Amino acid sequence: MKHKLILYIFIAVFMAIEILPVYSRGKDLLLKNGNIIPISHKTIMGGDILIKGNKIAKIGEKIESTPNTLVIDLKGKWVMPGIIDSHAHIAIEGGVNEGSESITPEVHIKDVLQPEDYSMFHSLAGGVTTVHTMHGSANPIGGRNVVIKLRWGKGAEELIFKGAPETIKWALGENPKRSNSYRPGRARYPKTRMGVEAAIRKAFEKARDYEKAWDKYEKDMKAYKKSKGKMFKPLPPRKNYRLEVISDLLKGKYRVRCHAYQSEEMLSIMKLCKAYNVKLAAFEHGLEGYRITNELGKYGVAITGFADFWGYKWEAFNTLPHNLALMAKRGVLVAVNSDSNERMRRLFLDAAKLVRFGGLTELEALKTITINPAIILGIDKYVGTLEVNKDADIAIFNRHPLDPYTVCEMTLVDGKVLFDRTKYHLEREKAAEKKKEKEEKPGKNAKAPKIKGEF
Amino acid sequence: MKRIFIFTAICLIPLALVCKTSPDTVLIKNATIVPVTEQPIHPGDLLIKGGKIARIGKGIPSPEGAAVIDASGMSVYPGFIDAYTHFGLVEISSIASTIDTNEMGKMNPELKVAWAINPHSVHFATNRINGTTTALVAPSGGTFSGITALVKMDGWSIDEMLINDEAASIINFPMTPRETRASRLSKQKKAKIDITAKIVEKIKKYLTDARRYHELKTLSKEKGGFPPPGMNAKYEGLKPVLEGKMPVILSVEKAKDIKLAIKFAKEEKLKVIFRGCAQGYKVADKIARAKIPVIIDSLYTGPVDPEEAYDAQWTNVSIMVKAGVTICFSSGGYVGVGKDLPYHAARAVAFGLKHEDALKALTINPAKMFGIDNRLGSLEVGKDADLFVTTGDPLDARSVVKYLFINGKRVNLDNWWETQYKKWKSRPLK
Repeated sequence: MKHKLILYIFIAVFMAIEILPVYSRGKDLLLKNGNIIPISHKTIMGGDILIKGNKIAKIGEKIESTPNTLVIDLKGKWVMPGIIDSHAHIAIEGGVNEGSESITPEVHIKDVLQPEDYSMFHSLAGGVTTVHTMHGSANPIGGRNVVIKLRWGKGAEELIFKGAPETIKWALGENPKRSNSYRPGRARYPKTRMGVEAAIRKAFEKARDYEKAWDKYEKDMKAYKKSKGKMFKPLPPRKNYRLEVISDLLKGKYRVRCHAYQSEEMLSIMKLCKAYNVKLAAFEHGLEGYRITNELGKYGVAITGFADFWGYKWEAFNTLPHNLALMAKRGVLVAVNSDSNERMRRLFLDAAKLVRFGGLTELEALKTITINPAIILGIDKYVGTLEVNKDADIAIFNRHPLDPYTVCEMTLVDGKVLFDRTKYHLEREKAAEKKKEKEEKPGKNAKAPKIKGEF
Repeated sequence: MKRIFIFTAICLIPLALVCKTSPDTVLIKNATIVPVTEQPIHPGDLLIKGGKIARIGKGIPSPEGAAVIDASGMSVYPGFIDAYTHFGLVEISSIASTIDTNEMGKMNPELKVAWAINPHSVHFATNRINGTTTALVAPSGGTFSGITALVKMDGWSIDEMLINDEAASIINFPMTPRETRASRLSKQKKAKIDITAKIVEKIKKYLTDARRYHELKTLSKEKGGFPPPGMNAKYEGLKPVLEGKMPVILSVEKAKDIKLAIKFAKEEKLKVIFRGCAQGYKVADKIARAKIPVIIDSLYTGPVDPEEAYDAQWTNVSIMVKAGVTICFSSGGYVGVGKDLPYHAARAVAFGLKHEDALKALTINPAKMFGIDNRLGSLEVGKDADLFVTTGDPLDARSVVKYLFINGKRVNLDNWWETQYKKWKSRPLK
């Protein structure tokens, strides 16, 4: 018994020593001899990246290592910034739609983050490091969203991307129209595109009234204090968390992310936002955006959409895989997003499609999954390119990331290797062998036979 | 009004896409010819005459009146075969009036998709742009969904497109449901009765009944003495299946179901083709030994079980091929992404499949599977001139197919997308 314990301790220490080098926090990390695509600069063939802490400290050729540096030889692999997915619904516990009512900005995805969602790891294995995980599209004004980093293994709080501006989800068109089913037997307003816009307008007006009521209360309070007891103490208005968020929205606290397909409703909502001085950050999907590039450009709103997914509903039918590239060429800021845990694993392949459809350059195509979504999310000073002092969020591929046969081999978040394909498979093999051994030798360690029946 | 106009326009596009007149004889010169069944010829020429491949070689002289295509720097491949689609049966997947895949009831072995395919669907024109020239169009739903058809991706009418209106029958083999996080947490996840086995029993009983019906019919005809049983269209539809003449496509996913399906195929003596086999890697030897070919489903999907490796679906293909399983690719059940067929193959190559095996799985393998390898599946003299000329590796999303031939006729590669692209590209910038 005793010597077995010693053996276990020995194994534990040995494993710790084995694992420590790459994952230790204190040491600097040097990625050597990779083909680096920094996005912001020219590609460096056979370059190095020095990482200190969670930041990129140096990029260039032949960076010297010190005894305090851990070196990973990339042997000519391709290095790019960690991929950013600007529209997804990953790591969310339960449903993504608070569809019981049509205006629900009081809900926040931050409150329902699910850090054990294993599709986060699958996405890391596809080179993704940052995700904008969003409320669904059932409501004209939906919930608030959150930007997370795929810090696999950490708790919900630690996933949140600190410093990312707050965003809120809106939705137009078919989805809010057909979202009556959440209340069986009772139809929910709105049912038409007219109603969707009216619902948003109404919410704005209510929020303005709410603001006015509070302004009046504060004014009355001041007067009451001045009056030194000669006046009645004013009563505060009833707190309304929903209207408070919309009031903040009208003051510009949130970046509006508006789900929209049809060009007409995008034009209409841009007019509405101008009237209320609300800033739209991006239209989600925007499958008909190619028709209104002039207007989008003039207003200055971005589009984040699918590379070529289409035809699943009427509003998604009048489009083409050239959509994003055409908009990009005509001056609109565009990003390729997944909107799916599965597609997120292969966003780099979707980016390659923009080279084929619409003729973006390879660099422009890569921008749509790195710096462009970072700009749309307002996190471009932290991530999106490989530059000194930016976060060390890095994806490493065995071939050029747009090559059809490319495989993501390693992903770093904040300078830590969170996915290493070789190691991953070695560990799985080891675990499988262990399991097999246990099954073959049912000696002392064998479990008691399972008793059938339920208790 | 505008919408009606647009919709009419959409419907009319495929009509306008077929070339008005194209010469009967075409010579493709100076290309890399990749016949798939043999070594590539570089540089090589290929002569199309009367809808067939007339000659392949070097320095073929141009016959009089032939159209000559100088394909220097480009490559010629046999047209790809998409082994499972709903092309022409689904237009917009959320609008019921445009969907013709699922009939009511569970037992519909007599239904033929050939009765319902819309040859003017936009999806034929959009999904052939990456080199797909033939597709298996399948019904879905129920237990016996109906009979699939093999069609060419171009033609003025369904009759011009049809290769075989009785290509294979579909049996939806019961699948053990995928485990989700919610179902894992649920205590009731282990149902006491194995539903899968029960449904298999039902299918077997149905097949036995059908067999008995046909036996009685023959007995009555040969020996007489009693009237034949009343006509049963459903059992009639199963006749070629029971005789082992028409293959049956069984959708299977988990290893457990695959084993069950192999046993089922053996017992019922059916000519079976598997579709899916996401966990085929766990029982690859068994599939190979049973000599059952596999149609790989869309690879745009994650692992079946949370315990599986993140790349299980992608490595699965090469593991099965190494074990000796014949495979072919398909774009899967969603018509909107049919053009991605070669990209699915590329994912399998990225995770271990040999490039040449991937090409075979897009051409000659499915041709053999459906018994049309005498006409299609490779570049060989005498075969149908269904082929394409591309700027690069056909599995690369950045390559562009420049010319596509079906039955030796050059197919216009314009489609609903291209029409929109040309129109809106020319909107003046303000």
